[in-house]
Amino acid sequence: MKRFVLLGSILLLLLFALAACAQATPGAPAEEPPAAQPTEKPAEPTEKPAEPTEAPPEPSEPMVLRYADKAADLGTMDPHFAAATNDRNLVDMIFNALVRYKPGDGSTFEPDLAVSLPEPEVVDGKQVWTFELRKGVMCQETKETPAYELTSEDVVYSLQKSANPDTSAYAGEYNGMTVEALDDYTVKITLEQPISPILFFPKVADYAGGFIICKQHYENVGAEGFKTNPAGTGPFKFESYTPQDKVVLVANDAYFRGRPKLDRVEYRFMPELNSRELGLKSGDLDVINGQNESDWVKRMDQEEGISVDVYGVGEVATIHFNTSVKPLDDVRVRKAIAYALDRDEFLALFGGPPVAEKVYSAVPAKFLPGGLTKEEVEELGLDYARDLEKAKQLLAEAGYPDGFSLEVVSSERESYLKPYTSMQAQLAKIGIDIKITTVDHSSMHKLIRQDVNPIVVYVAWRPNADVYLTRFYHSDSIVVTGAKPDTNFSHYAGIDDLIEAARVEQDADKQVQMWKDAQIKLLEEMISYPILYMNQVTARHDYVDYGHELKSVLALYPQIDETTTINK
Amino acid sequence: MIRYIASRLLLAIPTVLAVLTLVFFVVRVIPGDPATAALGDYASQEAVEALREKMGLNDPLYVQYFRFLSDLLRGDLGTSMITGKEISDLVRQVLPYTLELTITAIFIGTILGVPLGIYTARHVNTSIDYIGRVVSLAGLSVPAFYLGILIMLTFAYKIPIFPAVGGGDLTDLNSNLRHLVLPAMTLGLIMTASVTRLTRSAMLNVLKDDYVRTARAKGLSERIVVLRHALRAALVPIVSIIGVWAASLVADSVLTETVFARPGLGKMLVSAIMQRDYTLLQSVMVIYALFVVGINLITDIIYSFVDPRITH
Repeated sequence: MKRFVLLGSILLLLLFALAACAQATPGAPAEEPPAAQPTEKPAEPTEKPAEPTEAPPEPSEPMVLRYADKAADLGTMDPHFAAATNDRNLVDMIFNALVRYKPGDGSTFEPDLAVSLPEPEVVDGKQVWTFELRKGVMCQETKETPAYELTSEDVVYSLQKSANPDTSAYAGEYNGMTVEALDDYTVKITLEQPISPILFFPKVADYAGGFIICKQHYENVGAEGFKTNPAGTGPFKFESYTPQDKVVLVANDAYFRGRPKLDRVEYRFMPELNSRELGLKSGDLDVINGQNESDWVKRMDQEEGISVDVYGVGEVATIHFNTSVKPLDDVRVRKAIAYALDRDEFLALFGGPPVAEKVYSAVPAKFLPGGLTKEEVEELGLDYARDLEKAKQLLAEAGYPDGFSLEVVSSERESYLKPYTSMQAQLAKIGIDIKITTVDHSSMHKLIRQDVNPIVVYVAWRPNADVYLTRFYHSDSIVVTGAKPDTNFSHYAGIDDLIEAARVEQDADKQVQMWKDAQIKLLEEMISYPILYMNQVTARHDYVDYGHELKSVLALYPQIDETTTINK
Repeated sequence: MIRYIASRLLLAIPTVLAVLTLVFFVVRVIPGDPATAALGDYASQEAVEALREKMGLNDPLYVQYFRFLSDLLRGDLGTSMITGKEISDLVRQVLPYTLELTITAIFIGTILGVPLGIYTARHVNTSIDYIGRVVSLAGLSVPAFYLGILIMLTFAYKIPIFPAVGGGDLTDLNSNLRHLVLPAMTLGLIMTASVTRLTRSAMLNVLKDDYVRTARAKGLSERIVVLRHALRAALVPIVSIIGVWAASLVADSVLTETVFARPGLGKMLVSAIMQRDYTLLQSVMVIYALFVVGINLITDIIYSFVDPRITH
């Protein structure tokens, strides 16, 4: 018997010893600003067009960056459908656009596939934007499609695809836009309705529908195939996808800004935070998606050799009141709720700055023009500083001296559940009883669009003030009953004229003022209560150098590009 | 025996069909839909509706159901609603990871659990027996994800001899083996606890039987008495528990796969639920059902070898 036990133990020990002694797998390296403003001098390209820089000396071992995201799996790498953060991260590395947000700084536009940022012209009452393309930009080689030079044909094809609801999730952004190729390197975009650069450039920038795909490859692999076998012109090209495990990207040797310093990027799907953390600490990972909590940031920052980056853009958490149902149809009730809430209590749940910071208007002033600052709302008396007596008095005036009850659904995600539970505790002090039913995230999105919640907490980033205001406050966007039902949970229709006027306003200052006026009205009528915005948190080994300063990134990751390197 | 196997396989068809039908309708009752999950909150309602139409979700339920069944009968698992990839390809890529993890865990659980059970039964009410009982009870009580993190913390961080995360490269034995050790140890140790307890209990019953006393009286060595006479009689419940564990480990691997960030069927199942990827979810459930049916069949067949009195 003892021999049997002994034999088993020896076999197991041998197995572990064999595995432990085996060579490690190769792959690891040898051991308040304005948003999205065009750069000052748009007429000249910032880089030499189409001249690949000299390749760096051949490294002894491939330089691999191992990034772990909190997603469980890939959704799609078709950039015009990519909506989840992990999908956006990947397409950001594979594709380019006519213009781009400056790496690490989402407040500035610069040319990307275009040689410069054009000035618009007005022809027959329509607005025309003419883009000159870089020459020598190569579409990535794939098994199905040889490398070829990107031309205006690809650009026109891409933007038309973005405008088609069958092939894009962002088609609505391209209504009233026609795209045509004037020659191989010139693309003309005509808008029925003139808009300001601040609203136009996001449509052709490296975010959502603006990404340019390679037409030949898309046609070769088909729409379904493109989701997991994409090709663009970006610094990295797709190599492989293992379900629930990782996507591997390799350096695009022919990248027009020069060959990337990294040889490969392994983008891993790891939903479990503890696993990502241990993977980083043990050296199996180089960069991980962190937790939106200041305590986590402090703890990880104390680890030797590890740094945590906290950066924008911040996703804004806002409380929307359904003004079409009782008792929230009474402005006194909404104001009573506002006076009962305290942003500091919400903030405390996330450990406060730098991860979470207070916000005072629907549009976050720190990241986008058109937002209201704390000083501005205080000056207008619209900051709704906590005043429980005033809140109770307003409730009594509205006929609810003993409060009332409401039922809401919340996502299971902390970014939603925490604000809901904090709101529940705060409103209990004035007799308002909120019952929360927790459902999974996808179900919550479905249910709130069916108008089940009288109060909706929504956490979102939108690329400009127009999109924020249109989608959350324009009457067309009213859930269920709007002309284009979207995310107007308030059923509010009081700022349509301001939104529409601002959209076509060419004078940037006047446009910003209109957006601010619209939000002042929202606060005066307490249509929604802005709580806080949550920044992005990533942790990395000190040897990882992104190649740019991290201020704000629309793709919600540190932005890995041709300049990113590992200095071990 | 062949007739028995054939009849069992035929009986499996209604079982699998029942599972399929149940899964098909249950997933559609859950709020949320694949189009919303795929496009995220930024997409407009118009885009969500367009995608629903494209996914065939606006068709009547019975149309979707029979389309799924007819595809399945042709051996076509279909394509993932989210990634658009062939499900058979997706499964082919992750199945080896789940199989190797499950088989290794069963191996560890059996090779440690059975001898330990016999040993503690032979030394009942001694300090070794008490230690064995406490440890195996602890093993049964600790959740797989917690044990996984402890093991990862110990052998990947404090004593960094194994990689913490990932499944390794299936074409590279070294890489594959190194990535397999910690998750297999996690599942294997939990199974060890269960097998140890059951083996001990079965052996204690058998060791009191008259024929064991007779064998001893005949002067047979203790090794022969225990291994040839007692263990053989105790094997039926042991095989049963190993069979049960084999079936449940395939499902239990989901936690281990998540903690160790390994690809696998369990992780695929959870991901399919979260993304409301109906077609993928249905297909994974078919595979699970087939697994369970297959494992039960194998267990039944082994019974007849272990105990010739059992006939089918």
